[in-house]
Amino acid sequence: MRTPLLTMLLLLVLCFGLVAWMDPRHQARVEANVPAGQGTLAGLLGETRQTVADYFYTQADVYFHSGYYPSIFDEARKQEEQDSDVSHPEEGKSGKEEKGFMGPPLDWIDRFSRHFLPSRHTHLSGSAVGEMLPWLKLSADLDPHRIQTYIVTAYWLRQGLGKSAEAEDFVRDGLRANPHSPDLLFILGQIYLEDRKDYPRAKNIFLAAKKEWHKRDDPKPAVSKNGEETKDYLLLERILSGLVKEEEAVGNLQQALRYLEELKPDAGDPAAVQKRIDELKQKIQKKT
Amino acid sequence: MNKIFAVSAVVIKEIYRRKDFYVLFFLTGLITFVMWLMNFFHDDQIIRFIKEICLFLILISALIISVTTAARQIPAERESRTIFPLLAKPIARWQVMVGKFAGCWFATGFALVVFYLFFGLVSASRDHTLPVAAYFQALWLLWQMLGIVIAMTLLGSVVLSAPSANMTIIFIVTIGILYIGGFLHKVAMGMSEPSASIVTAIYYIIPHLELYNMSELIVHDWPIVPWLDVLIATIYGFAYMTFFLTGACLAFRHKPLN
Amino acid sequence: MLRFAERWYNACSPAIDNNILVSNDSTPMTAVLRTENLRVEYKSRELKQQTKVALKGLNLSVQPGEVFGYLGPNGAGKTTTMNVLLGYVNATSGAAYLFDVNTREPIARQRIGYLPELTYYYKFLTAEELLRFYARIFEIPKAETEKRIDQLLKVVELEHARKRPIRTYSKGMQQRAGLAQALINNPDLLLLDEPTSGLDPLGRMKVREIIQRLKNEGKTVFFSSHELGEVETICDRVAIMHQGELKVEGRVADLVKEYQCNLEQVFLKVVGYEPEPV
Repeated sequence: MRTPLLTMLLLLVLCFGLVAWMDPRHQARVEANVPAGQGTLAGLLGETRQTVADYFYTQADVYFHSGYYPSIFDEARKQEEQDSDVSHPEEGKSGKEEKGFMGPPLDWIDRFSRHFLPSRHTHLSGSAVGEMLPWLKLSADLDPHRIQTYIVTAYWLRQGLGKSAEAEDFVRDGLRANPHSPDLLFILGQIYLEDRKDYPRAKNIFLAAKKEWHKRDDPKPAVSKNGEETKDYLLLERILSGLVKEEEAVGNLQQALRYLEELKPDAGDPAAVQKRIDELKQKIQKKT
Repeated sequence: MNKIFAVSAVVIKEIYRRKDFYVLFFLTGLITFVMWLMNFFHDDQIIRFIKEICLFLILISALIISVTTAARQIPAERESRTIFPLLAKPIARWQVMVGKFAGCWFATGFALVVFYLFFGLVSASRDHTLPVAAYFQALWLLWQMLGIVIAMTLLGSVVLSAPSANMTIIFIVTIGILYIGGFLHKVAMGMSEPSASIVTAIYYIIPHLELYNMSELIVHDWPIVPWLDVLIATIYGFAYMTFFLTGACLAFRHKPLN
Repeated sequence: MLRFAERWYNACSPAIDNNILVSNDSTPMTAVLRTENLRVEYKSRELKQQTKVALKGLNLSVQPGEVFGYLGPNGAGKTTTMNVLLGYVNATSGAAYLFDVNTREPIARQRIGYLPELTYYYKFLTAEELLRFYARIFEIPKAETEKRIDQLLKVVELEHARKRPIRTYSKGMQQRAGLAQALINNPDLLLLDEPTSGLDPLGRMKVREIIQRLKNEGKTVFFSSHELGEVETICDRVAIMHQGELKVEGRVADLVKEYQCNLEQVFLKVVGYEPEPV
């Protein structure tokens, strides 16, 4: 009886020693390979985490619409109808019953089932927008490289709930995972400009965002092979607008004017930018 | 009826003496509690997320309880040979089958009441309201859905030899109907014949369990379903329960007991 | 259903209460148990769809108040006969009756008690709950049920364990619980399948005593057994089966007299056993 027990004890000690020897080496290898910001859940899910992150992001949108949301089958049917409209433009939308994305009921079961589902297009408002946040947080945890999640979350935290401190923390988390993201730098800059009124810091961040934009987007062609615009001029416009606001806030109108001039060529609405330039010039003249 | 209720009482006793329900309730409570404790951006008013998780866990737990219990009834009676002294009494096989169904269904109903009381407490802790009518409707409809699933499972338990195969098939079918069943007609419209006709036929034949899942309405605080629609859904559910149960009784009638 | 059972029971009862025995030349009393050309065939995949005939035109009758022994070697058809009487299996042709009701009807089992050879009861129930459950199936009123449960648990000496689940019982205790459930409806006919199988001599004696007491109360007992010594002691009549056929039937004393040997040797002769030459 003693021999099997002693053998088991010896094996236990051997296993413990092996684990103690292997664990630090394994930890070092994992830390080298695992991207920053990847938590336990992400590690467990592996590559499916992006799919799950997408699902959670969509869930946030579902919550925004209080459950009234098209399924993948509704989306597919809508696409088919759109294709049909494109190929038969004369049919148009005349005679088609529209009930949001659902369309007319196909049969009595479909008609009856609509009584048990959300049936109106609504949006969350006020403090209720906070209900979306858990899904956005989880989506960001699973896929920290999805910039859009941070942008949307920061927007609702600031505009919907007035929680700019939490928004800043969240955007900084995003920047830790995506240190060169001009989008996140811009959002952070906005927080410092509009919420904290910390103009020097806001300027530094906007300049960093501009620098990152040029690094990322300047090498890209203006229009890609399939005709899509690849340079995110809208972001550049926003960054420059942010800089303009900051310079106006500190009274440095000449610098603001220079930024507007830089903005005008790539602006979506050059006329509006020109109007701002003229207003600013008048302001400068009045000042002098 | 007394004999049917006698059999159902034994089924209910078996369920609450097994550990399944308590384990599932504990897990549901634990996961919900963990979710409740989670802090999302220092907002302690967030409740829909918790409600959704809790209702999902309730649905899964209720399905597990109902399917595993129903799938076990007849095979366990045959395997442990308790069916022999039972059928040696003046009770017909159809009464045994209906009694098993009633026992599984009522036991699941009691479990649902406990789950929903817990759910009500959780949601009232943050919502500070208790929409009793809505929760009652959700409970009632989910109970009807489980009745259909239990009847299907009992039919499967007589037709199929292995409870595990029966459970697997029922879970797949149930989850498939819940999440895809309502869209089959839409899918069929994009298919060519004969697939379109087959899928359309399946769409009309299957019990539409998705009618009984009111989670979206509860989570997002929509008004309650009109009571007439609840009544129609109940009648629809009873029709399918009767259909599957009749099939189970007929199949059991000629089934050898060994 | 209950009203039908009551009417049927009242119609049958006077004949049983009078306890008129069968006589050869008088109008026969309604047999408690009767089979008419009972034939049972089995087809199975194991037998590659060949038919196995388990019973070949069995004609049997058991009179009220008798202790009837049903004997035969393994595979003789005893279990099949029990299965038909209990409604587990339907006859291929012919019929079986209990108190003149076809055994296909569940109500035929209203006045019988069945004790299987091996104990098969719900392990999660207590003995009390088990008896209450079966009493409810017999539609015995609640007050009467509680009274009977107390009496029966006392008789089978399970009072101390009435609240414990059956899975905690020993084999002997489970068998005694089985006996209690067989008697819960105060049956007029008791079907016992190898009642003393696996019991120690004390247990066997107790079973014999119970059978004797039931007989004294006017109950009918029908049991299958391999214990010929026991059968010889307590049975009024016996039937010996072999390969699905009824070979011989009659009073034990008459058979012993006819074959000029004890019951065991009668059995061996009837089934065609030839001892090997020494």
